[in-house]
Amino acid sequence: MAEAALLEPVVATPKPKQRSRSALTVVLSLVVLVVSLVVSVRIGVGAGWEEIGRAAGARLGLPVVPLPRLLDSLIWDLRLPRVLLAALVGAALAVCGAALQSITRNSLADPYLLGVSSGASTGAVVVVVLGFAGSQLGLTGGALIGALVAFGLLLVLLRRTGLDSSRIVLTGVVVGQLFAALTSLVLLSSGDADSIRAITNWLLGSLASARWTSVAVCAVVLAAGLLVVWLCSAALDGFAFGTDTASSLGIDVRATRIVLLVTTSVLTAVAVAAVGAVGFVGLIVPHGVRFLVGPLHRKLLPLSAVVGAVFLVWTDALTRVVFAPLEVPVGVFTALIGVPLFLLVLRRRGEL
Amino acid sequence: MSHPGRFGLALVAVLAAGCATPEGAQAPTAQSVVVDSCGKQLTFAGAPQRAVTLDQSSTETLLALGLQDRMAGTANLKTKVSPKFADAYAKIPVLSPKVITSEPLRAANPDVVVSSFQEQFTPDRAGTRDELAALGVPTFVSAVNCPDGTTAPFERLFRDYENFGRIFGATEKAAQLANDQRAALAEVQAVKREPVKVVWVYSVFKGVPYVAGKDGMASQMSKIAGAVNVFDDVDQEWPEASWEEIARRDPDVIVVGDLSERGNPGDKASEKIAMMREHPAVSQLKALRDNKVIEIPGIEMDPSVRTVDALKAFGAGLDKIAGRG
Repeated sequence: MAEAALLEPVVATPKPKQRSRSALTVVLSLVVLVVSLVVSVRIGVGAGWEEIGRAAGARLGLPVVPLPRLLDSLIWDLRLPRVLLAALVGAALAVCGAALQSITRNSLADPYLLGVSSGASTGAVVVVVLGFAGSQLGLTGGALIGALVAFGLLLVLLRRTGLDSSRIVLTGVVVGQLFAALTSLVLLSSGDADSIRAITNWLLGSLASARWTSVAVCAVVLAAGLLVVWLCSAALDGFAFGTDTASSLGIDVRATRIVLLVTTSVLTAVAVAAVGAVGFVGLIVPHGVRFLVGPLHRKLLPLSAVVGAVFLVWTDALTRVVFAPLEVPVGVFTALIGVPLFLLVLRRRGEL
Repeated sequence: MSHPGRFGLALVAVLAAGCATPEGAQAPTAQSVVVDSCGKQLTFAGAPQRAVTLDQSSTETLLALGLQDRMAGTANLKTKVSPKFADAYAKIPVLSPKVITSEPLRAANPDVVVSSFQEQFTPDRAGTRDELAALGVPTFVSAVNCPDGTTAPFERLFRDYENFGRIFGATEKAAQLANDQRAALAEVQAVKREPVKVVWVYSVFKGVPYVAGKDGMASQMSKIAGAVNVFDDVDQEWPEASWEEIARRDPDVIVVGDLSERGNPGDKASEKIAMMREHPAVSQLKALRDNKVIEIPGIEMDPSVRTVDALKAFGAGLDKIAGRG
């Protein structure tokens, strides 16, 4: 982007030592991510290392004894997509949170600030009440449509404004409240006990319904979204100084904001449609990473993605085992685990 | 010509001998059973040996058919298993005390999955019926859960028994169970009763009563016993009602579900009765003042092998109130 070149003087050129340190961070975080993915596949019923080896080996054409069909499908069709989806969703939410915190200059901003998740739950509730929830596309599709409708409304409400921070936040809150009310209305008017239970579970977020299709969709959207947001990282740095400074740095504030709002909303919509509204990740992970590597988005965004991914992979692994064979919605654990971790980071930084 | 002919004969004999071996019997030939279950056609090459049940009603039905040795696991127990089945139940692994998810279900390696409700088969619960079918696991859903508009719920329940009998090769036992229960129905029906108005209060959740509507077992039980369900105009199995509406419909008899083992406030029959006695409108009902209340275990009001017990208790209760029993 052109702005990136203009911003270069503001961002001091890294010294060689710093550069090697950040290279080390990248390598280290990727290693942690890969190890987390592999180890967490092992966590849960029915999948020991031997079984995982046999499932993988059979697909790689190695001479191994294939697993019984159901056990194989447990590992390959349920566990693996689930772990990958947790990583993708965690990354998407953390990146959206980081971007929105900068756009709105609000430390409390998270991916659900724009009302997208409320729209998604309205869509999901309508689908459940109308009785299409049996098919997987039903709930996910309904949620996606609801999320996009909510975001469309947000854009319509914002269309004549200068997209300043407080207006984005307030409009987002209004849209969110509207759709939350619609959700309750639909539930109360026609939901029976069963659909209410299904929706409550879904609202708290659960990765139990992860399948390869949702992994593929999330992977494509995340790759594209991450790239767009990362290309805007210089502009995001600029926003930190306020709109006037950002404009004087040569950033087209309005256009960049629209691009970022659209991107984060689509990312959030896809994530919420896939697993429900998993809280906390998008709010806290960017803060934690900012403490570790500083506020520059060129580093903050990719590292937030990795940390968000690792965090959600591990919390989801916990939901599989802590109350086994019952599953707790993952949203419950993200906060239970996240709060102490966050406090630890604060304390390490001497801010508490 | 005689030589090839004799060879052909020998070949037929060998093939026939091959078919007589156990491997031959497993092949999906004339032996295989085809059953329609809630919109899906299930094919069984042999009798299942590792059935998994997803809820208490399915569990108890299979136990009533003496199939405990063919069960690899159960899930989602609502209340205590009937004492009749407690011993058999104790020998089967409990895969999940509540709704089972797809991972533990597949880890149990079932060869058939039995459920009372289609809603269990979603990706975030047991996995979809199509997914399981693709893995070679048929999914049986109770016919009670799929109203066809013509068959009464009890008849659909008996159709389940018949299907289980064919699937598991226990037709005799299944026929006997259906006949016994049909006889119990006829026995209750045989008594001539006044057409009293009855309300079935299943549960009270957060102060709101859930009553029997048109679709369910309770509605049919009322008819069999010659009574009239006052909420028969509501097109749901257990619709939410208000106490005022119950009072307005002025039932002659109140049936109260006892869900003591679930343990939420308002689950015990006595708690529901106390609540009604405190309510300004309901407490004025003649049925309540004259103590025309029948208590029935809540689990038996839902479609299961135990529903017939609720019917017997209901009939006996009506007779007692009418001064006959």
